[in-house]
Amino acid sequence: MANHNIPEVKANWEETSGVWGMSIDMDVCSGCQACVAACAMENNIAFVGEEDSGYGRSLHWLRVEHTFEGEYPEVEATPFQPIGCQQCGHAPCEPVCPVFASVHSKNEDLNLQVYNRCVGTRYCANNCPYVARVFNMRDYERPEPLPNQFNPDVTVRRRGIMEKCTFCIQRIHQGQDKAKADGRELLDGEVVPACAQACPADAIVFGRLDDPESKVSKLSKAGRGVKLIEELGTLPRVTFLEEEKTYGRTG
Amino acid sequence: MQKVLDLIKNPSFKIAILVFVLVAFSAGLVGIYFTQIPPEQPILFPHNRHVNLQIQCLYCHSGAWKQASAGLPTEQKCWACHGQLKKYFDPVVPVSEWPIELQKLNDYAVNNKPIKWVPVYQVPDFVHFNHRPHVAKGVACETCHGDMSKKTVATLEQTVNMGWCIDCHTKKSANDPVLQAKLLDCGTCHY
Repeated sequence: MANHNIPEVKANWEETSGVWGMSIDMDVCSGCQACVAACAMENNIAFVGEEDSGYGRSLHWLRVEHTFEGEYPEVEATPFQPIGCQQCGHAPCEPVCPVFASVHSKNEDLNLQVYNRCVGTRYCANNCPYVARVFNMRDYERPEPLPNQFNPDVTVRRRGIMEKCTFCIQRIHQGQDKAKADGRELLDGEVVPACAQACPADAIVFGRLDDPESKVSKLSKAGRGVKLIEELGTLPRVTFLEEEKTYGRTG
Repeated sequence: MQKVLDLIKNPSFKIAILVFVLVAFSAGLVGIYFTQIPPEQPILFPHNRHVNLQIQCLYCHSGAWKQASAGLPTEQKCWACHGQLKKYFDPVVPVSEWPIELQKLNDYAVNNKPIKWVPVYQVPDFVHFNHRPHVAKGVACETCHGDMSKKTVATLEQTVNMGWCIDCHTKKSANDPVLQAKLLDCGTCHY
C-alpha cells in the first residue's frame, strides 16, 4: 500500500476552565421567552412560519425547555431551562465537519460556525447532544419593513447554512474593541449577550470563566451548578443553577 | 459514430468551435475588466487636490480611528469648507460659472440632499472588517488604499480577499503566538 502521509489526527482537548461562560439560574427563570425573542432580533434569525415550524425547522438559537414528569395526579413540572449552544470545550460537532466550518476558536474558546465554509451536510447537528444547532431549510421571506431591523454586525444567513448560538460574539468583539480603544482591561459584566440583556429576572449571567473574581465563575462554582449531559465529557461552558424552590414556585 | 466523426472533420465545425472559444475568452476578459474599473461616483472628487492641501484622511473619513467603518463625508462636511471659500462665495461669480463638480456639490448642500457615495473597498456580508485596530496599530491608509495624492476618484488598488488579509496578519504576528492566535482565528472576522 502506498503511504499517502495522512497525518494522524487525535482529539486532544485539555480540561480548562474556558474563557467565556454563562450561568442560568433555573430558580428565577420564569420561562417568559424574552431571551428567545431578543436572540432572534440580535442575530437576524429568520421567521420560518407556521408550517415549517411544525416540521421542527424553527431557527431559534435558544429554546426554553419545559417538560412534565410523573404519572397523572402527581405531575410535576421541570424548571424552565433556556437551552442554546453550550459552547463545549470538547465539542462533538467540531470533528465531524468535513469542510471545517465548525471550528474551535483558540482565542475565545468558543465553537464557531463559519457560514461561508458551511456546505450544509448537517453532520454537526446530528452529533450535537444538546440539539442546539438549527438548519436553514430555505431562504425565508422577510417582508418589508423587517429588513430594516437587521443587525449589521451579524451575517444574514441563506439557505443551506447551519447556525447556532455564538455567545453574541459580535458583542464580545465590540466590548474588547472598546476596552482596547480606551486602553484598559475588559470589565466584568461589560459584555452582555442579547439574552442576558433581555432577561427581566436576571437569570442569565455572562462573563469570563478564566477570571475567578467574575460573577459568572463565582455562580458556577457556588455548588448549585449543574451542566447538561456532562458525562459525555463535552465540557459545556453553560452552567444551570439548580432549583432550590426558594421563590415559592412549585410547578 | 461515423456521423459525429464527419461533423468534427467538417471545417465549418472547427471554425464554429474556434469562434466559440474566442467569444468565451473575450467575455471572460470583459468580465474581469468590469471588476477592475472604479465605480461611478456622484461627484468626481479630486482626492489628489485635497491631499496636496495637507487635509488629513481622518478629517473626512473620521470613523477610521474609532470604529469599524471609516465613513464617507456628508454634504455638510464638504460645505463646511467649500461654503467659506471666497472665490465661490463671492456673489459676483454666479453658481452657473463654478466648476461643474462644485455646481453639483452646491446642489447637494443647498437642497440638503445626501451625496450617495459609492463604496469602492467592499467585503462580503460574512466578513466583519474593523478599521480601528488597523489604524491603532499604525497601518498607514495608503498600505491598502494606495497613494491618494496621485488619484482623483478612489480606485481599487488591492484585490480584497482572505489570502491577502491572512498574509499580512501572519507577517505582523510572527513573533507573538498569542496575537497570532487572535489574528488567525476564524471568529475574528467571520460571525
